[in-house]
Order: sequence, then structure tokens, then C-alpha cells
Amino acid sequence: MMRILPGLVCLLAAATSLSCNRAGGDSNAATARPVVALVLKTLNHPFFVDMRRGAQEAADRLGVTLQVQAAEREVDVEKQMQIVENLIQTGVRVLCITPSGSREILSALVKAKNANVPVIVVDTRLDAKAAADAGVRGETFIGSDNYEGGRLAGRHAVTVTGGKARIGILEGIAGHETADSRLRGFRDAVAGEPGMAIVASQPANWERDQGFNVFQNMLQAHPNIDTVFAASDLMALGAIEAIAAAGKTGKIRVIGFDALDDAKRAIDAGTMDASVAQFPYEMGKAAVESAVKVINGESLPADIMVKLEMVTKATSGKATEGSR
Amino acid sequence: MKARRFGTLIGLVVLCLVLWALTPFFLTVSNLLNIAEQTSINAIVAAGMTFVILSGGIDLSVGSIVALSGVVLGLSLHAGYSPAVALPVMIAAGVLAGATNGLLIDRGRLPPFIVTLGMMSIARGAALLITEGRPISGFEESFRALATARVGFVPAPVLIMATVYLVAHFVLTRTTFGRYVYAIGGNEDAARLSGVRIHLHKPAIYAVSGLTSALAAMILTARLNSAQPIAGTMYELDAIAATVIGGTSLMGGEGTLAGTLIGALIMGVLRNGLNLLGVSSFLQQIVIGGVIVGAVLVDTVLKRPRT
Repeated sequence: MMRILPGLVCLLAAATSLSCNRAGGDSNAATARPVVALVLKTLNHPFFVDMRRGAQEAADRLGVTLQVQAAEREVDVEKQMQIVENLIQTGVRVLCITPSGSREILSALVKAKNANVPVIVVDTRLDAKAAADAGVRGETFIGSDNYEGGRLAGRHAVTVTGGKARIGILEGIAGHETADSRLRGFRDAVAGEPGMAIVASQPANWERDQGFNVFQNMLQAHPNIDTVFAASDLMALGAIEAIAAAGKTGKIRVIGFDALDDAKRAIDAGTMDASVAQFPYEMGKAAVESAVKVINGESLPADIMVKLEMVTKATSGKATEGSR
Repeated sequence: MKARRFGTLIGLVVLCLVLWALTPFFLTVSNLLNIAEQTSINAIVAAGMTFVILSGGIDLSVGSIVALSGVVLGLSLHAGYSPAVALPVMIAAGVLAGATNGLLIDRGRLPPFIVTLGMMSIARGAALLITEGRPISGFEESFRALATARVGFVPAPVLIMATVYLVAHFVLTRTTFGRYVYAIGGNEDAARLSGVRIHLHKPAIYAVSGLTSALAAMILTARLNSAQPIAGTMYELDAIAATVIGGTSLMGGEGTLAGTLIGALIMGVLRNGLNLLGVSSFLQQIVIGGVIVGAVLVDTVLKRPRT
């Protein structure tokens, strides 16, 4: 009966000491420093790991303590809401958040507002109408324009194919603002070109293994696809594997989104054509910088846009520099 | 068995004491209510799961039934029906899915693992199909009160959780149905031979699980102001964990609802405490997993015959 007790205590003690180690040698100064929270969608995606690095760099430079929390799974809004509720209890000064759901997270942000915790929205916009209805207003939005990124990818596709292609699209999770915007941008960019035919468009839910399976199925149904647009690089990388498995490497152009390190390597190796680069490191940095401005009572612009870039074989070395 | 229940409760109390010593934010009224509110959804799903596990079964479909009944609710409300109509409809959807599980397990003589694994996929697919994968968002304040209202200082989800547990505890301990749940889990053949109408009670047990999943979906939908077809993923594992930490035997026939509630609270307190302490989310998963395995270890050790 008593055996569970030491177990629980040990686990907690271990967890606490590990988390204190992470905070480093400044633990006695930590009490005096204002705490800025950064709540991410997940930490098992390089995009958010980069964002965290950028945020940490800014926090160290500006003398604030950064608390990073994330749900285990990217789509788990309820868990993200719990994290926000719990962080409010600890008296964080500013809450920076990448919402897992543009509308669903509003209930949590209402609680932040009622506790007088200012909110900075990063990467994924709140649904404007629902936010207005709920009376939630972020201090600022930091992110890149996903619609513009989609258009960038679409225009690139038109250029490299000479305006004639049979396109398969790997979508993100349906109903997500990010996924919808990227796809709308891409579709709008190719819509004016009569030679650009979208022959299939299926969700692969942002995941690499699903990208593989879905694209493999797509190739079965449409063996003549010559161009793929994936709304994220993980899905694109999955598709590249499927293309290799079908022995069609080099015959199908793959355009992704996010310019992950793996994707850049694939672009250098020639298995991938291009990827739209966002700069999550810059987003994380801007989020903490903005949080400090909020603490100091400075005003912020409504939007802080972070640049986008098309990474191709010609530019990939340069882009790697830029994201550091 | 009594000692074990006691052990789980002591585990919860010690966990709370440790957190109280580690962070000043833990033991405040607002944080404790916060934990109770966050625990309510898992606790309610776990109540139904306890019925199933007590009967010697398992229900892997609860998370998908949460999603399906949630989107049925969302679509009904958006179609203009009042909550007085939409809530019975969504509860019916949950009960129906659960009863289907039970019928297939009983009449089809199929393993619960397989049937509910199938339902997990079917209900999820149905939820995605009828919503075209999109969340249904934005409901009337009158409906949202189910998650946002407070009676005195107690949040509505906590009251709903308390009601579910009182009713379920009564059913399990004071009705023949409740006794049969234990009897079927203890020894199904013996129960059948002594005249328990398995064909009636098995589907009913899984229907209870569908019912509690629907009630959880009701709170979840009101809480997020949105019904998501992807909601409830992995809820089955949280519910099984709460039940098992609470001392219910996966072999069936042994366990209590009070234990399950304490199990759900241990998980809720752990998650909350680890958030308050700023423990990395990766480490949180390790700690929670460790607690689950530790609790079952205790369970097994206690059940070993003494020499």
C-alpha cells in the first residue's frame, strides 16, 4: 500500500530538479524577474522547437524568465486550455500563445483576460469574429501570412512547370486556419492558369507517415501526377519517400512549406524542388520582445509580420543562414 | 481491497502535500477548483469505463464517441434546435454507439478489444464525415453555461461530475444491475449459470460507457465553445489509466467508483502541478506514465497471496 508514496515523491522530486536544472544558475534571480509564458501547439515539431529557441534567446537577453509549455499533441485544444488555466494561477505577466484552434482557444483567453494577463498571439490567428464576440483582443499578432506563403508556392509551381502540370495536394488538418490559408493561397495562384490541373487533394494531417501513405494512394489513383504541393514539409518528406518507393524520384516535383532542415537537405539532394520558409526563430524572438514591451507599457502594432521566402536549390544555403 | 483504496487516497494526499511544499500556487481555492474542472471530463468518461472494466471488458471507443456525440450536439444546436432537444439527441447517439458495442460483444461473441477498436475508428470516421472534418463553433450563452456557470463558487462541470458519480455509485452498489456488473466481471459463466441475463446486461454496461462519453462531450463542447471531430483523441487511455490507478482490476470483478474518481484526480493534480512547476511537457509524460505503472504495480503486489 505504501509503495506508491515513495514512487510519487521520487518522480516529482526528479521532475522538479530536472526542470530547475533547465532554468540554469539564475534560480535565485528568477523570483524577481517577470515571467513570460510561451504556450506552443506542441514541442515535437522542429518549427516550434526553433520558435522556442528564438524566444529563449530574447528572454535571456532581456532579463525575463521564460516558461514554455505545450500539449502532447498539436490538435489538443483542451489540453492547451488546461495549460493556460494553470499558468494563469502562477501569475505570469504575459501569455504568448500559438493557438491550437483559432476559435476553441478563446474560452481560455477569456480567462486570461479576466485575470488581467495580456495575450500575444503567435503564428496562428484568432478567428476575428469569434474573438470580437468573446471580447478577446490580443496585444499583437506575430506570424507570417500563410495565404501569401501558399501563393508564393503556387506561383513558383507555375514558373517551374511552365504553366502545365498535374498537381496532387497534401492538405493539413481540415478546419485549421493555417492549413486553409496555405491551400487557398496555392489554389488562387494556380487558378488563373488553364494548364495547371489539380487532380487530387487529400488531407494527411501534417504528419510524415500519413504524407507517405496518402501520397502512395494518390499515385495509385493518378499515376500521372507530376507536381506535389504539401501544406507542410513533414507531409512533403513523406511524399518523397512514397515517390522513391514507387521508383519515380526526380520525375515528380515536390513543393513543401516550412523549410525544415530535413527539407533543405532534400532540396540540396534534388529529391525536393522547393519549400516556403517561415522563420519561427524570429517569431519566438519577436514574441518575447513584444511581451517585454507590454510589461513596460509600450504600445504595439496590431500585426508584426515575419518574412517568408521560397527556398530552392539555388537559395537553400542562404536560407539556412537566415533562420539561425 | 479496502487497504488498497486507502492507499490510492493517501497517494493523492501525499501528492498534494508535495506540490504544496514545492509551489505556492498549488494550494489556492482558485487552483483547486481549476483542477476539479479540468478533471471533470476525464473523470466522467472514466466512470463509464469503470463499469466496463468491472465487467471484465474494455472500451477503446470512448474518445471517438466523445467526438461523435459532440458533433451531433454541435450540428443540432447549429440547426436551430434548443439544448432541450439537442442534448437528448446527442446522448442518444452516445448510448446507441455504446449499446452497439455491447450487442456485438455479446451476440457476436467477439472480444471487447476488437469490437471497441472498430467502433473507435467508425465513430471517429462518422464524426469527420458528418462535419466534413471541420469544427462546429459558436454556441448560445445559455448552452455554454454548462461549462462556464458557477453555482456558488463551484464550476458547473464539477457539479455535473459529482452528480454522475453519485448516480453511478448508487447504480453500482444499490441495484441488481450493479451487482451483475461485478458478477459478470468476476466469473461470466458462473453469472450466466446462476441466471443473470447476460444478453440484457452486457449491452447495458457498454451503453453506460456511451452515456458517460456523451456527457463528457457535452461539457467539452460547452467548454471549448466548439465541437471538434478530432476531439477526444486518446481519452480512452486517460480513462483506463484513471480506472486502473483507482484500483480497478483489468481482470474485472474488483474495484470501486470512488477509486476511479481518486485516480482521475491524481492525474489531474499531476498535470496541474507539473504545469505550475514549469516541468517540460516531455518530462510530464514520463512522470504520468510512471505513476500509472507504479499504481498497477502496487495493485499487483497487494493481490499476491501472502506467504
